[in-house]
Amino acid sequence: MILSLVFFTFSFVFYFLSALLYIGHWVFKKKWIGQFATAMSFVALMSTTMILIARAGESGHAPFSNLFESMVLFIWATNAGYLLMEFKHKIKAIGAVVMTIETLAMLAASMLPYRFKSVEPLNPALQSKWHWMQDLLTPFGLEKYAIGWLDFHVFATFIGYAGFAISFGLSILYLVKYMTESKGGKSFMDVLPESKVIDELSYRAIAWGFPFLGVGIVSGAVWANYAWGTYWSWDPKETWSLITWFIYAAYLHARVTRGWKGKRAAYLSIAGFLAVLFLYWGVSFILPGLHAYA
Amino acid sequence: MSGKAWYSVAVSKIWLFFNSLKLTLGVLLTLAIVSILGTVVEQNKTAGEYVSAYGEGWTNFIMAASLNDLFHSWWFIALLGALSLNIIVCTFERFPPKWKSLLNHKPDNFDSKIIDRFTTKQTFSLDQSASAVRERVFKAFRKKRFAIIEVPSSNGEHHFYAWKGRIGRLGSDATHISLLLILLGAIVGSFAGYKGFDAVFVGTEMSVKNEDFKLRLDKFWIDYYDTGQIRQYNSVLTVVEDGRDVLTKQIWVNEPLYYKGVRFYQSSYGNAWNRLAEAQLQVKNTKSGLVGEPFKISWKTDKPEPIPGTKYSARLIGYSADFAYDERSNTVFSKSAEANNPAVNLEIYDGEKVISAPWVFLNYPGIFPAIPGADEDLLFVGYRGIMYSGLSINKDPGTNIVWAGTIVMGIGFILAFFVYYRRIWIVVKETGNSSEVRIGGMINKNQFAFDKDMKDVTDLIKSE
Repeated sequence: MILSLVFFTFSFVFYFLSALLYIGHWVFKKKWIGQFATAMSFVALMSTTMILIARAGESGHAPFSNLFESMVLFIWATNAGYLLMEFKHKIKAIGAVVMTIETLAMLAASMLPYRFKSVEPLNPALQSKWHWMQDLLTPFGLEKYAIGWLDFHVFATFIGYAGFAISFGLSILYLVKYMTESKGGKSFMDVLPESKVIDELSYRAIAWGFPFLGVGIVSGAVWANYAWGTYWSWDPKETWSLITWFIYAAYLHARVTRGWKGKRAAYLSIAGFLAVLFLYWGVSFILPGLHAYA
Repeated sequence: MSGKAWYSVAVSKIWLFFNSLKLTLGVLLTLAIVSILGTVVEQNKTAGEYVSAYGEGWTNFIMAASLNDLFHSWWFIALLGALSLNIIVCTFERFPPKWKSLLNHKPDNFDSKIIDRFTTKQTFSLDQSASAVRERVFKAFRKKRFAIIEVPSSNGEHHFYAWKGRIGRLGSDATHISLLLILLGAIVGSFAGYKGFDAVFVGTEMSVKNEDFKLRLDKFWIDYYDTGQIRQYNSVLTVVEDGRDVLTKQIWVNEPLYYKGVRFYQSSYGNAWNRLAEAQLQVKNTKSGLVGEPFKISWKTDKPEPIPGTKYSARLIGYSADFAYDERSNTVFSKSAEANNPAVNLEIYDGEKVISAPWVFLNYPGIFPAIPGADEDLLFVGYRGIMYSGLSINKDPGTNIVWAGTIVMGIGFILAFFVYYRRIWIVVKETGNSSEVRIGGMINKNQFAFDKDMKDVTDLIKSE
């Protein structure tokens, strides 16, 4: 039995439980359920970290090289981002949505065909350690832990995806909350913070996702130029990453300078995340190209 | 027309057109939507392939709208150009005043009514004199790392102005400038640089176009994982300048050789189709049918090598992996790089004299006698090939501009997304034994951070 898959199974259970607990907290409004939910999502984060570590041990490289591994990274980054947000803003009700997204992502990862899951050595094009880092680590005998373009590029991109996923969850919550607010009266959604706060949180998540996706795209281009002599070849993944980035750039410009908040911002954020989904999954399965591996 | 020349009106109209955020939003979303088309319609296919996929009508449309090469079509480039102009004009409009106010920062016309206009504001009283409150205000803001000044007032109130994260205002400009730099670097690279490809054989030199140095391939090999998958392609290259070796480097995919502004990338490999390391031959006596021991003959030796058991000697002067003959030009060539029909070209010597130069075929032994009029014939039975390494060659003088752009972008992102510009106005008014404090302000982004600042600062002032 491969250790990373054991951790994967455990994580799946943890995410499912934490989604249930957050929903329970929402429905029964008991404080202890909420605390339990946060603890469970923290356990899930640790367990996801262990998947990544075990995977790195099994494959001998950073676990960012196929769709399965990148899904785990996505789940990890989303969870970490969510917990940071919960800790900073002391708002729990949103966990129900984020942890449901996480559980669905786990389900999707577990259903991937075997060829997207198997532990593979890195192909020649993906081996790209930074020499300065290897040189720095060599005196300590740790040079094999040096990272490189692949790790940087993928990690930055997935922090971006995580930010957008959180913003997507918040935008949906915003729309529901906004509708119930405008109807007035008591509602199931009263647990949620004011729609204004949700809107601002959704913007904060994009304000994290956007620069990280930008760094991911640019580092990919710089790496491509370093490794192959071309910055940009309009391969479907590249093109879709730019499409996504343009949508969020439009979001930020509209919000900061033209005051697009609330509903319009929420729709744009949802459109942006649909583009992310296509960029991440659609391109990998439907459109062939340089990024065929993930 | 108010007396202005038509061109000055035109320029200011164009300027105004590009100094618009509506344009930004329009272009960004248009680019996003048309780019989708570029991924849905497969790019750079032949007309025939479009006809079979979409039918004739759609193919005409695809061709007319350049959807087959969308990302290089004039209208897509024009959209990118519009976005760039938009960024340039907006930066010119917004950056200089910001820069000026950054160097010389002061609140213009402190109007105590301004506080009423902010959404984030507070009013509270303290049982202390105004001068004591003044101390508290200064201490509180300094503790929260705000810069704070007292603004002279004429109505007996104390006016203060505090700010933090001013540099964050430059974030958007830095980000925009970085995008322009990266674009500029790419344009410089595509006009002033060149891309090429060349194959270099193991042990041979190749000249580099437009450069005064040569490149020698010392070695090429492939590393494998234990599972048999390919781990890496490697070439050891030596730069030869003025006949001397100046630099030797092992390159692999992801690790190019860089010399005098030119990069050499490992991009392919294969067996040479027009040369060999050595050929293995046998002598066959055509009368008795007896075949001798195999012997080896190396590629293009200076002197002919003796053919064992005969009075002849030979040189190996040619090879064709997939032999073909062009009758019109009377030349031999290789139909492909695959060893489908390997043949070697030999020079047969009788003493000092060349008596024949036959092609000998691996797959067709004895088809043409190698030595005319002799009892001996030569059989081509084996060979050791030469690998070549395919190198992509790229000279890109724009690389450094792109690097500068990425650094500016990093700084720009940090300033734009993680440094917030906060401004707070404070009015302290003494009323009898107590003082009334009014405080309010704004942040350019991240309302949460500002709410926390305001809470922290007011708590500090109250509790001191």
